Amino acid sequence: MFENRAIGLALVLPAAIFAAALFLLPVGILLSEAFRTDTGWSVSAYGEFFASSRNQTVFFRTLKLASLVAGVSAVVGYAAAFAIVNLPASSRGRMFGLVTLPLMISPVARTYAWLVILGRTGFVNKFLVDLGITDTPLRILFTETAVFIGLLQLFLPLMIISLVSAMENMPRDAVPAARILGANWLQVFWRVILPLTREGLVIGGTLVFTGSMTAYITPAILGGSKVLMLETLLYQRVTVANDFVSASVIAMILITMSFSANLLLKRLATARKSR
Amino acid sequence: MKTLVLAGASTLALTAAAMAADKTLTISVYSFSQDEFKELVYDPFEEICGCEIVVETGNSIERLSKIEANKDAPVIDMAVLSTHDALGAARKGLLQPIDTSKLSNFDKLYDIAKDPLGDSMGVGYTFYATSIAYRSDKVTVESWADLLSPELAGNVALPDITTNQGPPALYMIGKALGDTDSSLTAPIDAVAEKADDIVTFYVRSSQLAQLMQQEEIWAAPVGRFAWGSFKDNGLPMAWAEPKEGQTGGMNVMVMTANNGNEDLALQFMDFWLSTEIQTALANALIDSPANAEVVVSDDIAANLTYGAETVDQLHLLDPATILDMRESWLEQWNAKVMK
Repeated sequence: MFENRAIGLALVLPAAIFAAALFLLPVGILLSEAFRTDTGWSVSAYGEFFASSRNQTVFFRTLKLASLVAGVSAVVGYAAAFAIVNLPASSRGRMFGLVTLPLMISPVARTYAWLVILGRTGFVNKFLVDLGITDTPLRILFTETAVFIGLLQLFLPLMIISLVSAMENMPRDAVPAARILGANWLQVFWRVILPLTREGLVIGGTLVFTGSMTAYITPAILGGSKVLMLETLLYQRVTVANDFVSASVIAMILITMSFSANLLLKRLATARKSR
Repeated sequence: MKTLVLAGASTLALTAAAMAADKTLTISVYSFSQDEFKELVYDPFEEICGCEIVVETGNSIERLSKIEANKDAPVIDMAVLSTHDALGAARKGLLQPIDTSKLSNFDKLYDIAKDPLGDSMGVGYTFYATSIAYRSDKVTVESWADLLSPELAGNVALPDITTNQGPPALYMIGKALGDTDSSLTAPIDAVAEKADDIVTFYVRSSQLAQLMQQEEIWAAPVGRFAWGSFKDNGLPMAWAEPKEGQTGGMNVMVMTANNGNEDLALQFMDFWLSTEIQTALANALIDSPANAEVVVSDDIAANLTYGAETVDQLHLLDPATILDMRESWLEQWNAKVMK
């Protein structure tokens, strides 16, 4: 774009220095805590972290809930996105607005609303008791179910948005063509829609998985100390125990898991393409 | 660049000028009720001393690490901490003894507030009782063991072991079970066995008020300072007087080592401990008085931890025990209750 490459570089330089000095460097220093020991560099902090059965539980719970939220939001998201894309243009805008509306409300407010809705005297339990499905109110708050519901509601819009944009880029006649050629809906989804929207699925999946894994407020309020996730454990280690080594280990695990999820999803997408 | 340097230089010059002109006292305090503290304590003191008070707030861990990081050139002159955090700071050599002969109000304090850490390392300025707040229409709580009773199964919240209420509450449960060993092994085992019946292990008492209001829980051990948010929630609430007694905690004022501002800090401590200020803080329902000369109305007293009799009956955990055992308690808790 520039005749002289140097001009381009010079323009990038201030932002690059800013990011390096004020973001990359501090993060690097913080994360290096996890590898530093009295005698030198080592990964022993990770061994110690995973030696605790409580930490293992927290790790697998985080992995499980984040995967579950990503999986369920993909299923629900495809249905919703397909419906939205096939609406007439005017109502499509309205529906899209409704989907994005929750994103404009603070996660704190949304999570507090769940605290009321899922409570023992809340809407969900009233409904269940009135219908005679259960005699006594169910205990939903402070369980994995509550955290799952909260996270799903928090991140589902991101999945729907990614899938809607992906589907809008799909050739308009791809689905009718497949139908005319005799494909049933399952085949249409599996062999036409999915391959054509996988980029959206990778983006949405990564956003939802990473978001669920690193969310703090929702697990803190809806799960509490009985349903610790990596993020709430990290907070506890820093504020209660002043234990920056464990905290850095957890941060490193979270970063690794985010990148791995992205790579894995991309790999899955390209594997299908090459076939 | 030149402007930047100039701006930096003038800021420095200004700060230096301000420091030369006025005396400054830097204090480190809990972040709650700071508006009231400013009105009742800081502003009146600034007028008397002709100095400026710089207030640093935060939770204990944040504030302690700040004091430790600036150990060689102390920024904070005086701090208020829980007894065990203060003792931890004293053991690390971050504090110096307080010259209590210079505190004119010292003799007015309850005996337990005079030297809770030993060596005059801290002076108690407030304390609180911890007992069980419960729904009097649903249950009756007469013992700390009732927290684990079948009547309360699925209806009780306990403080997390990492909170200030956690260890004292466990100690009292142990006492009810007939085991007062400081390892807390018996009460932790008892709680672990009933872990599924505990709704949650709370971290903040403000969270508890909402759970009580929503009828998620019927009972929970809580500090008296939080009682105000329960008693008027429209539900029949009672404050238990368990047969094992009540527990609680104390907060102390401490003096950082080598801060060079000892006289002003002492003057401020004395002011805070005075009958007038302690009464004002009590009437505003902020801190229960450690000054035994404070007199408040029955209405106010009902919301505080007030009076010689109440104070005498508090079973406070020894700060040294908390400090020495904390890690082991947390380990047991994580292994047994959080597994």
